[in-house]
Amino acid sequence: MDVQATVEECLELWRNPYPQLARLREEGERPVAFFCSYTPEEILHAAGLTPVRLMGAVRTITHADAHLQPYCCSLARTDLDMALAGELGFLEGEVFVQTCDTMMRLSDIWRRNAGLSFHGDLVLPIRMGEEISLPFIVEEVRRFRKQVESFIGREIWDDAIEESMHVYNRNRRLAERLYGLRRENPGILDGLSATACLVAGFWMRRDKHNELLHELVEELGKGRISQEERVPLLVSGSVCTMPDLPELLLELGADMVDDDLCCGHRYFDAFADESVSPEEALAKRMWERVNCPAKHQCIEDRAERLMRQVGDCGAKGVVFYLQSFCEPHLFDIPYLRGRLQEELGVPSLVLESELQSFSRGQLRTRLQAFIETIRGV
Amino acid sequence: MSSDGNADARAADKERRRIKSTEAMRDLMVKYYTEAKAAEGTDKHIAWITSGAPVEPLIAFDVIPVYPENHGAMCGAAHMNVELCEAAEARGFSRDLCSYARGDIGSALTKGGPIGGLPRPTFLIACNNICNTVFKWYEELSRFFGVPLFIYDTPFVRGELPAHIADYSLRQMKEYISFLEKTTNKEYDEQHFVEVAAKSLFASGLWAEVLACNQHRPAPMTCFDAFIMMAPIVTLRGTQEVVDFYQGLLAEMRERVEQGIGILPSERYRVLWDNIPVWYELRNLGRLFLELETCLVADTYTSAWTFEDVDPSDPLGSMSKIYAEVYLNINLERMADKIESLAARFDVDGMIMHSNRSCKPYSLGQYDLAKEFTRRTGKPTLVIEADHTDSRWYNRAEVETRIRDFVENLLGGGVGL
Repeated sequence: MDVQATVEECLELWRNPYPQLARLREEGERPVAFFCSYTPEEILHAAGLTPVRLMGAVRTITHADAHLQPYCCSLARTDLDMALAGELGFLEGEVFVQTCDTMMRLSDIWRRNAGLSFHGDLVLPIRMGEEISLPFIVEEVRRFRKQVESFIGREIWDDAIEESMHVYNRNRRLAERLYGLRRENPGILDGLSATACLVAGFWMRRDKHNELLHELVEELGKGRISQEERVPLLVSGSVCTMPDLPELLLELGADMVDDDLCCGHRYFDAFADESVSPEEALAKRMWERVNCPAKHQCIEDRAERLMRQVGDCGAKGVVFYLQSFCEPHLFDIPYLRGRLQEELGVPSLVLESELQSFSRGQLRTRLQAFIETIRGV
Repeated sequence: MSSDGNADARAADKERRRIKSTEAMRDLMVKYYTEAKAAEGTDKHIAWITSGAPVEPLIAFDVIPVYPENHGAMCGAAHMNVELCEAAEARGFSRDLCSYARGDIGSALTKGGPIGGLPRPTFLIACNNICNTVFKWYEELSRFFGVPLFIYDTPFVRGELPAHIADYSLRQMKEYISFLEKTTNKEYDEQHFVEVAAKSLFASGLWAEVLACNQHRPAPMTCFDAFIMMAPIVTLRGTQEVVDFYQGLLAEMRERVEQGIGILPSERYRVLWDNIPVWYELRNLGRLFLELETCLVADTYTSAWTFEDVDPSDPLGSMSKIYAEVYLNINLERMADKIESLAARFDVDGMIMHSNRSCKPYSLGQYDLAKEFTRRTGKPTLVIEADHTDSRWYNRAEVETRIRDFVENLLGGGVGL
């Protein structure tokens, strides 16, 4: 495998996944969109559908303003805009998971206006990780499975879901290995390339992505380690619609050595237990995985986890990369920044992403100043 | 008649229209806040609680409930919330966060606001049936005060209430009781809880009847009055004082209906209001609607505290179902059913929706609801942009012009879009 060529392909996909999604449909696959990392993709996969993730797009809003106010995040606005503009015709449908208030309302708005064949809803509690909520999630996963079954017009067999869980668990193990290799061998692969290879999995069949990751980690074991001195940073937030942030970090002599992102480290956390029933396994995995900030922090304190991660990867600073208007993330910022600074002396920077007025120049200026400050220290 | 005579007649007419229970309400709320403030530092338990959370268990355990949202409304109406928000913003809280939350955090930091801040809580109760903002806000309060937080989690309901949500709710209602037993060192007294729940339901029934008086023409009050009068049902339901107060208010409203006393001297149009009030603008908007001879006869907000379908033999089960299905925790189609029914019952000519920058669950979906409302009723709608307590986001001239246009052109024309 030519690592560089693979990384380039993944980067291209990251910059614009939509032509590839249309191709999937032409090749006979049945893409179904999801937005949230809590989506039980295994059920869709087992049903013969291909879950693909929508993470927004840099674009001017033309249709969505008639349905959504400007004070909600640009992920919701640009995704809906694409759907209403008829640009997502390759999709068979979509799955909404109850995370934040915006997604909860967007689900209804999307269902009423986007006109795709399948609409799935998965309602989740906010009290993840507490005994009291687990039976509820198991039942909710069962209901979700029925929604999918009724759409495809047949039952999804338990063993099919077990096979899909196996595929997704393998994917998680490979992603973990990739992150592990990078942690143990700094310089083996930069954050931009690693994340590109990881997010590429959102836009292809998981089985194919497993092959890609497998070859990548095999190659990395033999590869050359870059000796370049870079300022190690950790990036925390929701999703990176575009690769600009990690790209700019490299340009400015820094690197994203680890992340707390919904399209990164948080996506592949925890495994589905293949020895119990599919509903229990899938429910338990989302219940015990690392929390999204839109969930109540009852399992562990986010600050504790973030500080541990910073310590493990040796980051000298943290960049919070958030969607404007994202309440779950914005609420935690003062607390997280305070603890990072007071307990670890680690500085942080908060950047907000607005896809309809995206400015790479502005992002660059702010990152540059931040990196220079760290270098000065 | 002399000009003095005219002035006297106007004053007499104004006095006749004035809602007399306002004083009783004010006394009740002053007493409540005075007692709550006095309890700070004593062995009395004080719990801060969200407006949609089950308060009945607190009353049954003799805990003083304190409502930051009610306090936020008060700070907003007193034009003091912006400075409190700024105190929170100076600590790094984004201006895009809910202004109730920012103001409350600011007030905790500075002890600012019209009553010098709320009394320190001994614990916190947050229920996300009104939004998911509240549990993030209360997590922050829990860190700030170093006190325990109980989360009563209400997953979103689409269509009929499913059994697994009802089960989860009931399990938490029981857990809530255990949490209170542990925190207050008192034992659960079911008999007492049933009495409290009965009072709460009775008061909410009275409140529903008070609001229903506005079905009459002319309407005896506007929803701006209801916004003020709802404070006791939000904060103190479950107590005898609240039952007494709403009995008094209901008697007054019925008397007004019998005597044909409307809140406005002239009522040409009847309008439905959607969303939380623009607290700092109540007076100005009140004047504008008076001038436009338009009465806001009903709203989706105050009716959130009118409970239906209660089974007295199963108070915990009934309560947990009620709290799971409040207006903001249901899908758009069910919300549309509700506004359609309000429009029919109150015989409105149109609807004004406050697109509230601080409240996503209330505001996102309004454009679709507006269209659906017009489709079902043939009545026009207007969406105005504001924020419930952060006046920096409000453009008075623009909003007032739009309201004028709406009333004069659309309601006057009587033609739906």
